[in-house]
Amino acid sequence: MVESPHPFLGHNFLLAILRKYGNFHSMKIALAQVAPRLGDMSRNFELHRQFIDKAKKNKADLIVFPELSLTGYTLMDLVPEVALNPTQSALFRRLLALSRGIDIVLGFVEEKEPGLFYNSAAYLSREQILHLHRKVFLPTFGMFEEAKFFAQGRIFRTFLSPFGRAGLLICRDFLSLGAGYILLAGGAELIVVISAAPGRGMSEEDDFATSRMWELMGEALSFFSTSFVIYTNRVGFEDGKAFAGGSFIFNPRGNLVARASTLDEELLLAEVNLEEVRSARKAWPFKRDDRPELVLESLARIVRHDED
Amino acid sequence: MKINPAFVTKVLCAFIREELHRFGYKKGIIGLSGGLDSSVCAFLACRALGPDNVIGLVLPYKDTFSQEVKDARLVARHLGFSCRVIDIAPMVDAYFSRYPTKNKVQVGNKMARERMSILYDFSARERALILGTSNKTELLLGYGTIHGDMACAINPLGDLYKTQIWELAEYLGVPERIRAKTPTAGLWPGQTDEGEIGLRYAEIDRILFELVDRRQSPKAVIAAGFPKTSVEKIVSLIQNSEFKRKMPPIAKISSRSVGHDFLYPYDRHK
Repeated sequence: MVESPHPFLGHNFLLAILRKYGNFHSMKIALAQVAPRLGDMSRNFELHRQFIDKAKKNKADLIVFPELSLTGYTLMDLVPEVALNPTQSALFRRLLALSRGIDIVLGFVEEKEPGLFYNSAAYLSREQILHLHRKVFLPTFGMFEEAKFFAQGRIFRTFLSPFGRAGLLICRDFLSLGAGYILLAGGAELIVVISAAPGRGMSEEDDFATSRMWELMGEALSFFSTSFVIYTNRVGFEDGKAFAGGSFIFNPRGNLVARASTLDEELLLAEVNLEEVRSARKAWPFKRDDRPELVLESLARIVRHDED
Repeated sequence: MKINPAFVTKVLCAFIREELHRFGYKKGIIGLSGGLDSSVCAFLACRALGPDNVIGLVLPYKDTFSQEVKDARLVARHLGFSCRVIDIAPMVDAYFSRYPTKNKVQVGNKMARERMSILYDFSARERALILGTSNKTELLLGYGTIHGDMACAINPLGDLYKTQIWELAEYLGVPERIRAKTPTAGLWPGQTDEGEIGLRYAEIDRILFELVDRRQSPKAVIAAGFPKTSVEKIVSLIQNSEFKRKMPPIAKISSRSVGHDFLYPYDRHK
């Protein structure tokens, strides 16, 4: 379901051929900055369908929805009620059908095995699930209580998308230097982040203080991994939390390509040139000079001695 | 502590609109006192919902607060929403004639709950949700009547300190005479918040901001130069009013208890 076990026969091989010989340098990305309805999957499916239609009409190659876009965020005891297994769910089959002609990243509650619920992201392409990521860092502090309701994902890894090697992160995962590093070491050219980040903190600025935090990471990670960073955050209110929006794309040189509004629902479209990964890496060989074996050895040492 | 009032207005109006509409309501209802908070709330509600969807209730006791009634009407006229004055004296007097008291706070609390009771009745009559007006300063100090002025369906002002509400009021164009008034809970004539608490709002809010938003310890706040007596007073007011900020504790004896591990979001869609 995730990656083909046989590299020469699978979907990925075809993708690699297409990518090599097709005209895939220019790519149009759609960020679906939506406000899902809490616990209402059929309404949210409809919301996805509408935004996908609009993105297709605008000739987008990829559309990215926010975290838990199919279900809403503040689920608490609703988690088991909205959970689905993507290999068996009729709703997911309908979503897969929508991925003809456009790649889709979305968020949902995954019941991987009975009673184990994950905050997951799926990458859909040509009616297949190319990749699933289960959120690793479940924020459980202050206003967040995800670890109370979700099982923890265990791995960060990259996969081959039609647009190059990609990695998925969910919200708080993105704020981990380790997660970003693993995607860099794994060869990611596109880092796709789906988020449900409430705005916190007021100042004289016309945005929340936390919006700057996400952009700071987008800027830093895109520059130092010389990859595209594509970040979709949701909008709307749940139990008084104001999801801040402000979705963005940074290019591999750390420059902002596009940014969506704060608080308003919108479909943000932006065209990028995938060749920019190559040109950025010629200028700044961070990827070439990376030493994952050395990092691994150093981490192993830290883990061994990290017993108090 | 400074805010961007235009941005805050945008967030709060979106909040009011979304919360009401998601539960199938078009209208908001506000208890108007003629003071700063309820006036700011009315200004926000009119921006969010339009004046035709805002109802004001002015609930004085006889004519003890005639200036306040005039100011509340001024706000309603200025914004163009409908507003109604109901004297709570017959209800309150009926009760105290049977159970008299000389305790002014007790009388003030009873009046606050009488107003709540009328607001909830009108909420049902008019199919309008009650917009709360308790600000962050009041909520933290417990300076409000539980099940009285603290009762509401949604509260757009609860995360703004009093001094921030003044900033917002200026931006929204709340009439100068309301912004210039000395804040009062209106429990009895001549009462002022600052007189009763014994501290100025400017000082209270700066101390609360350090303690709450910046998570500083009382010791650190005193070391930073705030008067020890003020900090200690504020800490004690916060600690002694926790019951006003929580649902009452339930004895948890079953295998799944309401509010403890029966947890559903407020905003769930049907």
